[in-house]
Amino acid sequence: MTAAAARLENANPLIFQRAGERALTAVEEDETVADPIDDREIFDLIRSINDPEHPLSLEELNVVEQVRVNVDDQESTVSVEFTPTIPHCSMATLIGLSIKVKLLRSLPDRFKIDVHITPGTHASEDAVNKQLADKERVAAALENSQLLEVVNQCLSTKPV
Amino acid sequence: MASHFSGVLQLTDLDDFITPSQECVKPVKVDKKQGRSVAKIQIEDDGSYFQVNQDGQRQKLEKAKITLNDCLACSGCITSAESILITQQSHEELYRVLRLNQQSSGGEQKVVVVVSVSPQSRASLAARYGLSSSETARRLTAFFKNLGVQYVFDTGFSRTFSLLESQREFLERFARKEEDKKALPMLASACPGWICYAEKTHGDFILPYISSTRSPQQMMGSLVKNFFARQQGVEPQKIYHVTVMPCYDKKLEASRPDFYLNEFETREVDCVITSGEVLKMLEEEGVSLNDVEPAPLDTMFSSVCGEELLCHAGSGSGGYLHHVYTHAAKQLFGMEVGELTYKTLKNKDFQEVTLEKDGTVLLRFAATYGFRNIQNLVQKLKRGKSPYHFVEVMACPSGCLNGGGQLKPVTELSNKDLLQQVEDLYRAEQPSAPEEDTRVAELYHTWLESVGAESARQLLHTQYHAVEKSTNGLTIKW
Amino acid sequence: MKDTVELVQRLSAHPDSRCWYVAWNPKGSLLASCGGDRAVRIWGKEGDSWECKSVLSDGHQRTVRKVAWSPCGNYLASASFDATTCIWKKKNDDFECLTVLEGHENEVKCVAWAPSGNMLATCSRDKSVWIWEVDEEDEYECVSVVNSHTQDVKHVVWHPTQELLASASYDNKVCIYKEEDDDWECRATLEGHTSTVWSLSFDPEGHRLASCSDDRTVKIWKECTPGDGEGDGSTDTWKCACTLSGFHSRTVYDVAWDRLTGALATACGDDGIRVFKEDPAADPEQPVFNLTAHVPKAHSQDVNCVAWHPQEVGVMATCSDNGEIAIWKYESEV
Repeated sequence: MTAAAARLENANPLIFQRAGERALTAVEEDETVADPIDDREIFDLIRSINDPEHPLSLEELNVVEQVRVNVDDQESTVSVEFTPTIPHCSMATLIGLSIKVKLLRSLPDRFKIDVHITPGTHASEDAVNKQLADKERVAAALENSQLLEVVNQCLSTKPV
Repeated sequence: MASHFSGVLQLTDLDDFITPSQECVKPVKVDKKQGRSVAKIQIEDDGSYFQVNQDGQRQKLEKAKITLNDCLACSGCITSAESILITQQSHEELYRVLRLNQQSSGGEQKVVVVVSVSPQSRASLAARYGLSSSETARRLTAFFKNLGVQYVFDTGFSRTFSLLESQREFLERFARKEEDKKALPMLASACPGWICYAEKTHGDFILPYISSTRSPQQMMGSLVKNFFARQQGVEPQKIYHVTVMPCYDKKLEASRPDFYLNEFETREVDCVITSGEVLKMLEEEGVSLNDVEPAPLDTMFSSVCGEELLCHAGSGSGGYLHHVYTHAAKQLFGMEVGELTYKTLKNKDFQEVTLEKDGTVLLRFAATYGFRNIQNLVQKLKRGKSPYHFVEVMACPSGCLNGGGQLKPVTELSNKDLLQQVEDLYRAEQPSAPEEDTRVAELYHTWLESVGAESARQLLHTQYHAVEKSTNGLTIKW
Repeated sequence: MKDTVELVQRLSAHPDSRCWYVAWNPKGSLLASCGGDRAVRIWGKEGDSWECKSVLSDGHQRTVRKVAWSPCGNYLASASFDATTCIWKKKNDDFECLTVLEGHENEVKCVAWAPSGNMLATCSRDKSVWIWEVDEEDEYECVSVVNSHTQDVKHVVWHPTQELLASASYDNKVCIYKEEDDDWECRATLEGHTSTVWSLSFDPEGHRLASCSDDRTVKIWKECTPGDGEGDGSTDTWKCACTLSGFHSRTVYDVAWDRLTGALATACGDDGIRVFKEDPAADPEQPVFNLTAHVPKAHSQDVNCVAWHPQEVGVMATCSDNGEIAIWKYESEV
């Protein structure tokens, strides 16, 4: 643990308040109606992803926000922007990969999932975006057991 | 920073050389300072980082640094970043030491600065200035001494040790080839690019085949920091030993922990500069080698006959194949070999020499240069299909005369024509047989016998270490 | 768009996985597919239907990214993320793994046979392109390792008649290689795409090269012969003759130039397949390609590959992230 701690890049990040649980609407509770997937639903999927380095969720670190989630159920597209805590965060690709994997595993296959860095918030923004958009690189990464283990740790639900 | 090397050395532009395979993945160790409260990090226009505390205080943040040793121990890439080498081993560093020496007052003990020049570097500079190789050596001696260097040696001299030790090691391996499946082929060890690649990519499989004999550079390291230091009554750390090499990777070799004298906290070779960096120094001094008044050679550690330097027969990469082959033919089969007949295989960088008697192949040696041929050699070994007893392996296509640190052609000259010129100049030196070198024989007697067998072995041989693959999920590059 | 594309058959080829690539054997009697399930499958026609003839599942430890048939049709090469390339030999209806080509440091992304059948090219995320030579004893030796790209190399393809190789990369560039003085070197670098170049295809004569990219365009490159007064002889010059933009709404993963009709097909990350035809009336120096057919939801997920049948006019195979292969019949209204 100390070795990992020694590599913390941003040892004292700002911590943000979590959003409350969402309230169910009457239409959503009506199981006869197929409700479209909306921004909040996507946000709920990714807000609890753990940061690879901190014992905090991406929501608590303000890495993901609901306003940066964009869903078009009709067109089957999902776009998520995430904001690394510091502009040189070397974990940015890993965080992006975790978000992407979470969505790939959770959403119906018809969805095209795009994960990007919030514009202007990372020094290697273009490089990270390009890598995350390359499905071949993502597929190969997920065949690497050590990397997969880290991603799965990020995606594991932690006790509240 | 990289501008020091522009035009002289560009690792990435080279064709078939072993190149870094991926970005640096080494996790950096940072001395942690206790952070008090929430802080922001700002990046200035010049790329420097400032930490801004909540009360508005600004503090410049230090850059994390990776040392050459980190590089060597890491499996991330094959050779290391240029920038690391530049800060630790460069002609700037040599200038710095020379300046310090000049500034030190009479009371302080000055360091003894020793420069050992390789025959390949000599030939490269000779081609540029239209001089003979020996004449280049005399003028380089004068140039370095004018800058405050005390001794200028020739690694051709220490290479005699490398050749003799290789020959002995080969006979010893040949004798145990039945019981030890990894005794043969013996793979030459003088090329640090090859060693680095072998350690990082093929590890425990390939290392047992590699000759434990030190390269000429590191033989000279032993000579200078052990024999010479004792003879001069100077502590090893008070000698600053510089080598001039045709090859960038020699800097990595000098930095290996195996060549660090813990007791004296000093490296056997403190600094490696390339042929190209010597040209850079000449240019910075505004000096042409043609205008330098020649100085007599330091014959203590130079292979000379009169005022002319000698070389070794065989390839421009040291002639390991030639020497081990002719010697083994004589010792093992009583056959005197005159000229060697090289048979070119797939390409000019894969050549074979065989010793036959009554239709039976007694010895099969190969010279294998460049990454593509190294690949085929390694794959042959893995499949158990290597027919060789000895292989002279070099990472650079065309071998050391074409090393990454050699001078680049000027104007109209093609790379190929320049290489031919350099090779002609290299071969123009009179070859000498290692076993007939009386001064080396004398050193074996006086120096190596006096230190004891174990010390002698350490002074003449080295070891290799397989590099573990990184298993840290956080730092995996995908 | 007056031409039609009819579905002939849909095959669940690599269930619960991706189908990355399909390749017809030279006669067009067999189709090889590969995917994320680490297997290669061989498909043959029984009556009117395509059926799985064999499964090659013991060659690779990870995803099989591409497959390629030798020009004689007796060998199949498979490139895998496990850093190796397997060479399979066809024995009647079976395939046996003849040899495994090792050397790349990580994922091998593509493998291609030279038209002579004596050479093979591979490329990898390790940024290198390797050229291998095959001798009479089925021994493979590496003849060259070229490091001309600065990133992941996605695809390699040989010229249909000459010993000339092209590669496409994550560095947005295409490189053209030839043998010079017993080694291979990059003779031309084609710059113009603004993102990863995923695939390449030569036209039937080999005068032009099509490239497709993550920038959602297809570019047609034309070789300038020395007589054109361009280039100084030390390098070859290829220039972009035209760009097909505005047709694809996501990454274009594959492009294929039909040897029989000259039509150009694309496989796209928007689930669609498209066929383009060259306007015969246009100036050859400024070719114009018209979209003549578009199947918007050809698959339910990304289309990864499109391959024209080598002998039957208009027949093509595509494959998708959903693990399926589809066989199509393209009818051109003349």
